[in-house]
Amino acid sequence: MILNRMACFLCLLLLPLALPARNIDLATVPERRTVQLTIYNSEDLTLVRESRVVTFKKGVNPLQFSWANTLIDPTSVELKFRAPNTGLEMLDTTFPHDKPQALYWNVQSDADREATIEISYFTSGISWAADYLAIADADEKTLRLENFVRVKNLSGEDYENAQVRLVVGTINLVEKIAELAKLPVGRVDELKREEYKDLRQRAARKMMAPAAPAMEMTAGAVAYDTAEMEAPKEIIKEGLSEYFIYTIEGTETVQNGWAKRLRSFEVDAAPMTVEYRYRPREYGDQLTRLYLLKNDAASKLGGTPLPDGVMQIFRANGSEGLSYLATQHLKYVPIGDKIELNLGVDRLVIFEQVKQKVYRDNLWLQIRGGNLYRKLGEDGFKLELDSQVAGWDEYTVYRQKIRNYSPKPIHAQIRREYAGDIVFRSRLNPTLHDFQTVQFEADIPAGGKAELDYEVIARMGYNQKQNRVELQNGDAGR
Amino acid sequence: MNRTRLLYPLGALLLLGAVPLDALARIKLTTLPVREQVQIHLDHPQIALVEEERIVPLVKGVNQVDFSWANTRIDPDTLVLRILPPPSEQPLDVKVLSVSYPPNENALVWSVAASASGAARVRISYVLGGLSKDFHYRAVADRDEKTLELAQYLRVNNHANEAYDLAQFQTGIGVEFDKPLGLNETREVQLNRFANAPVRKTYTADPVKFGYLDRARDQLNVPMHYVIKNAGHPLGKAALPEGKARIFQDDGQGGSAFLGEDRGPFTPPDDELELYLGLARDIVVRRTIDRNERQRIAGNLYRYDVTVKYEIENFKDAPATLNIVESVRQIRDQLHGNNGRDPEWQLGDGTLHNPDPEKSDADQLLFHVDLPARPADGPAPKLTQTLRLTLNNEW
Repeated sequence: MILNRMACFLCLLLLPLALPARNIDLATVPERRTVQLTIYNSEDLTLVRESRVVTFKKGVNPLQFSWANTLIDPTSVELKFRAPNTGLEMLDTTFPHDKPQALYWNVQSDADREATIEISYFTSGISWAADYLAIADADEKTLRLENFVRVKNLSGEDYENAQVRLVVGTINLVEKIAELAKLPVGRVDELKREEYKDLRQRAARKMMAPAAPAMEMTAGAVAYDTAEMEAPKEIIKEGLSEYFIYTIEGTETVQNGWAKRLRSFEVDAAPMTVEYRYRPREYGDQLTRLYLLKNDAASKLGGTPLPDGVMQIFRANGSEGLSYLATQHLKYVPIGDKIELNLGVDRLVIFEQVKQKVYRDNLWLQIRGGNLYRKLGEDGFKLELDSQVAGWDEYTVYRQKIRNYSPKPIHAQIRREYAGDIVFRSRLNPTLHDFQTVQFEADIPAGGKAELDYEVIARMGYNQKQNRVELQNGDAGR
Repeated sequence: MNRTRLLYPLGALLLLGAVPLDALARIKLTTLPVREQVQIHLDHPQIALVEEERIVPLVKGVNQVDFSWANTRIDPDTLVLRILPPPSEQPLDVKVLSVSYPPNENALVWSVAASASGAARVRISYVLGGLSKDFHYRAVADRDEKTLELAQYLRVNNHANEAYDLAQFQTGIGVEFDKPLGLNETREVQLNRFANAPVRKTYTADPVKFGYLDRARDQLNVPMHYVIKNAGHPLGKAALPEGKARIFQDDGQGGSAFLGEDRGPFTPPDDELELYLGLARDIVVRRTIDRNERQRIAGNLYRYDVTVKYEIENFKDAPATLNIVESVRQIRDQLHGNNGRDPEWQLGDGTLHNPDPEKSDADQLLFHVDLPARPADGPAPKLTQTLRLTLNNEW
């Protein structure tokens, strides 16, 4: 028995006329047999498909559908005849001026019959979000990763025993709207608000149409079988074009105002590595500690993309307790892509850069503001009063110190970005991450220190011939 | 269906029919598992994580376990329920099926399946706002200021609107203790006591960092510090968290005199904790620029010779070591303007020509100058020190 707490009613009006009487009405209320929710997390949009069984008499049958106090978009409501799908015809739809949040359909039936109808509509107020729980083992070699989906219903309507499907991925409605409106994407904003809304719903409906499986749910199929232990519900993941559809096993009841969280997957002991990275552009001006793994089979993952969601990261402390490490917003991770969990600064690892020395040579002067340049110290170069320094090489010697007071050896990767014509001289076996970013690495034992020396030679002004970093093997400093 | 309720706040006893999880079930029986154990983890710099262990009676099948935290600042997104392994003689398979969040309530309901009726040991973890901590120190220097006793305290401030009858506190610096923590209570515990820790008393002249006492007369401020190196016995085993330090000195009469207080920064092992003691008035340092000459190399390219002179008097009846700190860039900017480039410099033949290699770099120079005590029968001698710098390739 499905009881709707709010007023989302379908009434078969027992009247001879196509339009209902004003004051005295008699109606039967066919109950909702099945309901399916398809919830997007990138838009405040949920496609609801519900089925009801209605008995029609031969001739014209007025049907009223009303949705008081809900967030249903009235222009999105559609009626389809499922079984039988012949012999029934919808003649017209009327939105009465004196009765908001209701409509009437006149249905022509060629015989007295019972029929299953499907009503679909868009509603706002139902949302879903993913979240994660990550617990590293005490040695930080493996990670237990759990992914949850949380469905929240603020739509004003209770959906009981609903099949729930969640769309992972950003639905690119604008393109589809543009396609429907036969406009270039850039001109979608020019559409009128109402027109935009209509196209948006049509786009979403069109996008979802091939994915909707036949609705064969049995109402009330969630009775607990206490003979066998109840298992957490499986969430079935299917790829659909650029999206993933998560279908929650069986049916769920999500009452208005409530949220419900279910486990989507769990992975025990996914292998991971710990790395310390200095990448100011990505992590700010600090040495950042990260847990690294991949969304692939080697990490016991890879079955599905990981949707955007907040991740709580803990470490097991070895005595059944947890240590809180960080909260991070995980961005969508495609299958096969890397997962980086940013734990912030480790206060037991001290990262200091010391500028040890600065000097210049290869000074060039521009003579009298003209096109003549002379190098300082060049044979025959006289002390020219009317000359300006136009080019020079600036040498800066650095020492990167890393002290590791943590109880484990660490691996650190450092990236430094330099603009201009640069020579990076060191014995650190650096590599170029890109044309202006140097990357070098170091392993520091537990309780140990590293002192990484390097020299940056910047060719300035007239001396600058390139805009890139050149790596040179050599000792830092003269 | 069994229903278990874990009440977080004290005194919230509105149990029957309070949560409309199942609107039809008006008559409910609720069991109230008590906290078996509480751990409060304070190892994160900003966040307090609370872990409660409870024994939850479950019946075979699906059980509803309510958890509510009215009037407290639990971060619900951090709530974790973990089923701990059962004892081997009582195998019990327990799984969390789902979590439901009722509207307008600080509460949730775990739906938990059990393979048999029995008691499950669970741990509930959450980040709790309003539970803060700070460290502070009490340092008592001996009479000759060569060693001190450093006591380290942890203060836990409970504004979380929840009391814990007994909690195990994990401080993150290797010390654990068990204490109760009442509502709005602040509890202070001594974590460590480092006796006979070596200390150095320093006097520092640093025009950039500490400025002038009398600019017109070129007299620098000379602040005093106790410098405690977090290394060697009895220190060096763990970092010293940041915190306020109250500093005393043994007065030789069984008591101690208060010298001042300072806020010490986070000090990892091998680093030095500097505690400011105030300005020294008996060591007078006058700093002047004694020489500033320019020599053209070519065109607009110059070399500068600069001499900074320090006249130092120690009016104390004890010898002292003065630290002189200079920023070469600051000297260049002051004399010739800031051209945006790092200065290229060489030390000349002044009396200050051996900077401390550990604490000097391309810009900052640190020199240690030993000052003799004022003679008992005469005036304090005036010591003159010079720093000669050549600033090359300036334009």
